Amino acid sequence: MILGSITGLSACLKAENAHAQMRDFKKIRPVIAAVQEHMFPKNSTLPSARSMHTIDFTEETIFHHTYDKDIRTFVIAGAQELIAREERFLSYGPAQKEKALRAYEQTGYGSNWLARIMTLTMEALFSDPVYGSNINESGWRAIKSFGGIPRPTTRYIA
Amino acid sequence: MMKQPLYDAVIIGSGASGGAVAYTLTKAGYKVAMLEKGRLIRREEFSKDELAYCRRDIVTPNLFDEYHVIEQKVDGKWEATPTYDSGWSFWNGNIVGGSSNFMSGMFHRLHPDDFRLKSKYGAIEGANVVDWPISYEDIEPYYTMAENIVGISGHYKPHPFEPPRSTPDFPQPPTQENEVVKLLDRSCRKLGVTSLVTPRAVLSQDRGHRKACYYSNFCGSYGCSSGAKGSSREALLPAALATGNLTLMSNTHVKQLVSESKTHVGYALAVDTITGKEKHIRGRIFIVAAQAHESARLLLNSADKNHPDGLANSSGELGKNLIFSGGGSGQGELHRDALKHISFDALMQTGLFVNRSVLDWYFIDDWLEGKFKGGSVEFMFEHQNIISRALKHNYDGEKLVWGKALGERVVKRFREQKSIRFEIFNDWLPTDDCFVSVDPTHKDKYGMPVGKLRINGHPQDVKVGNYIAKKCEKILEEMGAKNIYSSVSNAPAQNLVAGGCRFGDDPKTSVLNKYCQAHDIPNLFVADASFMPTGGSVAYTWTIYANAFRVADKIVEVLKKSEV
Ligand SMILES: Cc1cc2nc3c(=O)[nH]c(=O)nc-3n(C[C@H](O)[C@H](O)[C@H](O)COP(=O)(O)OP(=O)(O)OC[C@H]3O[C@@H](n4cnc5c(N)ncnc54)[C@H](O)[C@@H]3O)c2cc1C
Ligand code: SF4
Repeated sequence: MILGSITGLSACLKAENAHAQMRDFKKIRPVIAAVQEHMFPKNSTLPSARSMHTIDFTEETIFHHTYDKDIRTFVIAGAQELIAREERFLSYGPAQKEKALRAYEQTGYGSNWLARIMTLTMEALFSDPVYGSNINESGWRAIKSFGGIPRPTTRYIA
Repeated sequence: MMKQPLYDAVIIGSGASGGAVAYTLTKAGYKVAMLEKGRLIRREEFSKDELAYCRRDIVTPNLFDEYHVIEQKVDGKWEATPTYDSGWSFWNGNIVGGSSNFMSGMFHRLHPDDFRLKSKYGAIEGANVVDWPISYEDIEPYYTMAENIVGISGHYKPHPFEPPRSTPDFPQPPTQENEVVKLLDRSCRKLGVTSLVTPRAVLSQDRGHRKACYYSNFCGSYGCSSGAKGSSREALLPAALATGNLTLMSNTHVKQLVSESKTHVGYALAVDTITGKEKHIRGRIFIVAAQAHESARLLLNSADKNHPDGLANSSGELGKNLIFSGGGSGQGELHRDALKHISFDALMQTGLFVNRSVLDWYFIDDWLEGKFKGGSVEFMFEHQNIISRALKHNYDGEKLVWGKALGERVVKRFREQKSIRFEIFNDWLPTDDCFVSVDPTHKDKYGMPVGKLRINGHPQDVKVGNYIAKKCEKILEEMGAKNIYSSVSNAPAQNLVAGGCRFGDDPKTSVLNKYCQAHDIPNLFVADASFMPTGGSVAYTWTIYANAFRVADKIVEVLKKSEV
């Protein structure tokens, strides 16, 4: 006999907070997307951030209840800080972006934030395609390494 | 409230230890309730989803809901950090079957001398080393039993430090091996080191409802989709459920055990994690099997007027002498262009195990360093997780590598080399500075004080680890590996935890008697690794299974004699 439901306990998200954070995120979404595209450009041996829609993955990931809420706050705040330092970041060419990001990296805060964006983008490129990025397993094919069998059919073991 | 049924036994936790007790008791005809805080994930539901299983808290509690406070020495002062701040989770798998679902299954027996470390090697300053109240001979039949019931594959080869066994060989042949073992064995031979086949709690052949391993390439940290891995959920619970005597209550978190007198536990106070409703589960005997640090916490949180310092704590020893697995790890890269003796394609074949361990340094007699207790070594490939491998080594000095340079680096890492790794397991000496208590202010979402773990290792642990790491680096060098490094420290392996409820003959200095029954409370047992006064120099789980089978036999005896 097995008693008890088989669905797990879903962590509850503080709703008011999430709404305000989503508004903030939407404002700096293009900044994060631009940083990801700079880190994972076209014509690289890895698929580009843009072609893999890593920004959509990032949005969905950080707002999922399984994501550490402190890190979510940090992802948003770090982008706000970047744009406060470099107001015209979005219109910069690649060389200017490189300079701006390397300067940001000189601060401990900036270097942590860039590492976090790197982690999120790598998670996008190399997680199962069920999460929306790594389209047609392009990330996996580039490195000839593939996720194990069975593959997930839903996100986060839902 | 309606009168609740009285179970013969109530087990808290459905992992390795809880499963072994349930198996024996239900087969002996006793009615057992198993209370498990996590949910049931069935074999068919598991997948190799790295994001979900390895990078998010999905099979463990969310750290903002339930956490630990970790106290470590920083610049000579104790500093306490809640794990929701550090992200360093001390949960290891909280679903039906517990962490045994996610283990790698590298199994070893303790050596007979591990049961008498103090007599053999004498006291060590600053460490609370004691002999065990039982000997290897007392537990040997249960190691064999675990081999058969859990299903451990391997191949026995005599070795001076290989413990004696009552059967000639393992019930199943070893799991399949990557050709890298040719290179590894050859290199070991050249250095005069004996490489042994690692016993593994993984079936190499079909058995009953469990299918043989299909070498999925993602074993440790993942649930098994064939049933080959010897988790409690696959190896023990189905047989227990089939008796009709087991009531498995998932999503049932136990907050406290409630005593009815100084010598008797009456019921478990549990909360349904879905509805939030509290319930009382009554039993003749209670068996705590929540994994060492959580078992001590539960007993401490069960303090009441009969037991103001916590259940089974008349000695004041409850929570003390917590231990982990000491040691460290190291690795090196086998490059396509420098590979000797085997083909690169063979090396790159995925899924097959390395399956090698070294016991040569279990006891060390060194002309320079002297005689001391050493440890064991496992060889394996670097964990095959893709995201975590892609994220490694992406710095040039302080600068994060990105752009095309990053692409080249990552592609090369995955396509032109494979990393081989060793893990060292040596004693984590028990000390006064490593224990569990309950935090005076931090509470989990059920309103119960969280476990506070003070963690500090003994300098001897690091000395031993470093000694062995040097030997292992030599093996990797001989194999032709590049960029070899190792790291040995006092940082604990949070998935290999024991102690906190020492067993012993003297009720003044131990929590449990030699059958893991509380000295003070005859109807209370602790079945997980909490009992271990010293940890031995191998991963614990074969010993956990074996000891839980041994304890279960005692419980049957107690129930039979109606002693409770
Ligand atoms: C990634 C990984 C790899 C490993 N590899 C190896 C290996 O190669 N070799 C080896 O020997 N060991 C290995 N281990 C360790 C092994 O899994 C554990 O030693 C073993 O499972 C411990 O058994 P246990 O019964 O003490 O605890 P668990 O198996 O963890 O079971 C404890 C159960 O109790 C439940 N519980 C806790 N508190 C409560 C409560 N208050 N109320 C209700 N339920 C509760 C938990 O949810 C859990 O399900 C590994 C572990 C991990 C995580
Ligand atoms: S199939 Fe084999 S390798 Fe995969 S999880 Fe199961 S036991 Fe491990």
